[in-house]
Amino acid sequence: MFSAISEKSVAGCLTYLEAIREAQFRALTDDPRVFIYGQDIGNFGGAFKATKNLAAEFPGRVIDSPISEDAMVGLAVGAAIEGMRPIIEMQFADFSTVGFNQIVNQAATLFWRTNIPCPITIRLPCGGTSGSGPFHSQMLETIYAHYPGIVVMTPATVEDAYSMLLAAVAIDDPVIFCEHKLLYYHLKADKLPSEALPIGKARIAREGRDMTIVTYSAMVHEALAAADELASEGSEVEVVDLRTVKPLDTDTVMASVARTGRLLCVGEAWPWGGVTAEIIARVTSEGFGLLDAPPQRLNAKDTPVPSHPNLWAAHRPTARSIAAAARNVLRQ
Amino acid sequence: MKIPIIMPQLGESIAEATINSFLVKPGDTVAVDQDLVEVETNKATMTVASPCSGRIAEFSAKLNESYAVGAVLGHIEVSAEDAARLGLDTPAPAKAPTENGDAHSHQEKSHSTSKKGVQPTIRGLPVPANAAGASYMSPRMKARMAELGLQSADLAGIAGSGAAGRVTIQDFEKFISNLEQQKLTPASSMRVAVADAMRRSWTRPLATVALPVRFDAMLAHRKTSNPKPGPALYAIRALAIALAENSAPAGRLVGNKIVHPSSIDIGFAVEAEDGVLVPVITSADKLTLSQLVPRYDELVELARQRKLPLNATGASVATVTNFGTFGLTWATPIPLPEQTLVLGMGAARPVPGWDEAKKQFVPVMEGNLTLSFDHRVLDGGAAGRLLARVSQLLNAPAGL
Amino acid sequence: MIQTASKPQVGDDIASFRDNYLRAFRIMLLARAADDKFASLYRAGKIHGGVFLGRGQEAVSVSIGVALRKGDVFAPLIRDTAGRIAFNEPLLDMARTYLGSPLGPMRARDGNIHRGRPKDGQLPMISHLGAMIAVVNGILFARRLKGITNTVGVTCIGDGGTSTGAFHEALNQAAVEKLPLVLVIADNQYAYSTPTSRQFACKSLADRPAAYGVPVHVVDGTDLGACLKTLSKAVEQARAGHGPQVVVANLLRLCGHGEHDPANYIDEQLKNSPLGGDCIRLAEEKILQQHLANAGELMSWRNEAAQQIEEVVATVQREPAPDPFDEKWNALATEELVEGHETSD
Repeated sequence: MFSAISEKSVAGCLTYLEAIREAQFRALTDDPRVFIYGQDIGNFGGAFKATKNLAAEFPGRVIDSPISEDAMVGLAVGAAIEGMRPIIEMQFADFSTVGFNQIVNQAATLFWRTNIPCPITIRLPCGGTSGSGPFHSQMLETIYAHYPGIVVMTPATVEDAYSMLLAAVAIDDPVIFCEHKLLYYHLKADKLPSEALPIGKARIAREGRDMTIVTYSAMVHEALAAADELASEGSEVEVVDLRTVKPLDTDTVMASVARTGRLLCVGEAWPWGGVTAEIIARVTSEGFGLLDAPPQRLNAKDTPVPSHPNLWAAHRPTARSIAAAARNVLRQ
Repeated sequence: MKIPIIMPQLGESIAEATINSFLVKPGDTVAVDQDLVEVETNKATMTVASPCSGRIAEFSAKLNESYAVGAVLGHIEVSAEDAARLGLDTPAPAKAPTENGDAHSHQEKSHSTSKKGVQPTIRGLPVPANAAGASYMSPRMKARMAELGLQSADLAGIAGSGAAGRVTIQDFEKFISNLEQQKLTPASSMRVAVADAMRRSWTRPLATVALPVRFDAMLAHRKTSNPKPGPALYAIRALAIALAENSAPAGRLVGNKIVHPSSIDIGFAVEAEDGVLVPVITSADKLTLSQLVPRYDELVELARQRKLPLNATGASVATVTNFGTFGLTWATPIPLPEQTLVLGMGAARPVPGWDEAKKQFVPVMEGNLTLSFDHRVLDGGAAGRLLARVSQLLNAPAGL
Repeated sequence: MIQTASKPQVGDDIASFRDNYLRAFRIMLLARAADDKFASLYRAGKIHGGVFLGRGQEAVSVSIGVALRKGDVFAPLIRDTAGRIAFNEPLLDMARTYLGSPLGPMRARDGNIHRGRPKDGQLPMISHLGAMIAVVNGILFARRLKGITNTVGVTCIGDGGTSTGAFHEALNQAAVEKLPLVLVIADNQYAYSTPTSRQFACKSLADRPAAYGVPVHVVDGTDLGACLKTLSKAVEQARAGHGPQVVVANLLRLCGHGEHDPANYIDEQLKNSPLGGDCIRLAEEKILQQHLANAGELMSWRNEAAQQIEEVVATVQREPAPDPFDEKWNALATEELVEGHETSD
């Protein structure tokens, strides 16, 4: 099997993608300042149908844009200056780099330069699916988290996809909302949540006493599958779902490492720098005395994402490779 | 063409050497194997010889500077055949500065200076190969041990379940919680202090020598003395006089310096409650035995009551311990951490001793004098000579 | 559709423009005096960072400010001192931003021409050329969503900036959305050291807007009267709902790219051609010719302008430098989401 997600048979009628659509519906309903701008999102409903029917229900507020990621984000910033709360849908995270300048130099600096907040939300469909290849698979939370002035969210559950998108629209700062494409249709829940952890707090997805795995987005599910495998071997692994990578909930991570003494960070992004590096940097500098073994990390291989499923399956961490890495950490 | 003069491998485990002097100068013609540079390592002075005949081009190394084995010290102008024979006929990388700028711009590596990977800095720290092995202590272990005031000696009994048998934090916490299920009595502060002192002292290489000594003269002198000096006081005086004659054995080694004692202050061990106290007789070389008796007796009493004043404790250059009072004939006491010597007196027993004059065995009172010492400061010979002198002094007790 | 404004001849009756013309002229004098002052402060080592002048561009720039109304939006670029003043940017803002006073609109966090007050409709530029156009689009787009329809947005760009992808995307976007944008291209023949022959292959930048379905207005950038007429017309067209308008003004840059640049690469022939005329000198000639003012008045206007700038600069030079310990070192508006995990401090 290529992924833990497709192995899941969660009974439920609401997918991760539907939760995102519900959140946008709710945002458009509750706040007249919200509009959505992106390619193919109007009558077509979006490449992934994240805005299905919304153009009809909210005429003039779900607008098709030309293929101009730079101008899309620039327009969102102007609209934000004018008091609106735009949501920009990038068709794939991989294309957001065409608008990179407007995100990191215009949107992210507006408040710092002018004291005027920039409440824009940019939705990025991230992450690999089987066959998606180098330009439809990227995880870009790292490059946006690096810049000051940006909030970066990486929801891993249906409930978080819903409540965190609502929170993103409500936050007065630019939010990069990383939705994982593999979770869109495969992850299901019974119903929408009525409450949620605050933004900036990580969630303990699974409790354990022998080691801690810190991860985010689709890798949470791979890590949980690995934890099940290790449980059958007698090791109890704690899995921490970061939920947002910036701000990063260092306190929860530190408390978990305090309990277990061993740390493995897992991410689907590339190895250099990144979320896994940032966590380990923080734990070693602020919690050195908590570690009973050297902390480790597991990321995708340092190449663009390959397209053939055989290659793709080896490129990113999977439940199997996470379990192997975890065993290494436990054996120290 | 020019080839480099390289710091050669000077001996096993030598990594670098310091330039002592240049034996030739640029422009000199030299023969193969002629000595070019004198260098000093921490073991010996050696020379760097010329790899072949030629003319010295320049030295890039500087006097009194250290260079690693393999470093380029300069260049020598040699014939093309010689260069080819040495495998150095491709131009070396332009490391050494030349007066008028080297025309060679290509940077091919020559065989003898080819490097495998990154070179460590000359004076850098050694890099541990692996964070594993039975004695590996994780940061968490160290933090917990610091918190609980433990030393690795305290953990000697834990078997490790981690990689290569190391003690994991789980092993440690299990050990601690198991301890709590056994009978625990508090260790007195005296016990803890002695434990700490002995542990610190033991970090040095300690050795012991023993000399059988006749105590007849001393015992006879004591019988006729009033007040009676304690047996240890005889040893204190004898040791003090011997050290006053030659204080080197009581010196301390700190780094590469010997710290000489400024005053012959001698301590003596008194058993008190849960441990040992060491009151000190200052300038023990300056007062006679009989002059010291009141002071000694007073200190013994105060020690037993744990009421020693500050000026009677503290630094001393040696300790005397009379383990003979426990009936022990020999022992290897451990000097205090700041001392180099501890002189021990074993119990005197009647044994046959050869009388050369009478050509027969006569009963004599014999006991062992032991000297336990920091072997970094003195060796067996010096220890033996000190004991011999102390023995000599003890056998002429009127002079003490 | 190309609409070219005809070049006014000597003897044309510009008295009907008299008030606007003189007001614009005096603003140009103020802008020139300000530019001269900051250039001299730069040479005296008193400025942190670069100084960018608008010498030669004052006529087209001031015309933008004159054509706009309160409530419109203006995103000036680097040579728009005159336009900014005409759109009511306080002189103190310019001085404070150049001199790094924490009392300025950018609070010493950004400098020189990167300044503005979005709430007053004047956007602070970022350095990436072309990026501001989409932001103006966004403001106009949002206003339309809110039902506000009689405002206009203007932004400027140079010949070099028209090569950027951002320019292309944003002009296209404005055209597709039919936004009331006026994009003023000041073709001053050079982008830093790059002549227009290395910047584009079409005969003139005026050829481009048609490809987007956007009308263009071409004007002689050295002629104040022509600029005032043209900008007024373009703004009016946009305000009336005819979609975006492009103005292409032809002139020559009469200074370096920045004051650090001696600009020895500028073609002497251009300097000596009509394109190289100084719009202020030409306007003065016209004023004298048309008896709109006499030489004495002109002299006193010049002096007043210089005096005004001196006072503003003197005021700001007495202000304290920013204190890093007073700074709030975070970039998020939402305080609870600010992390505290920097390594340094």
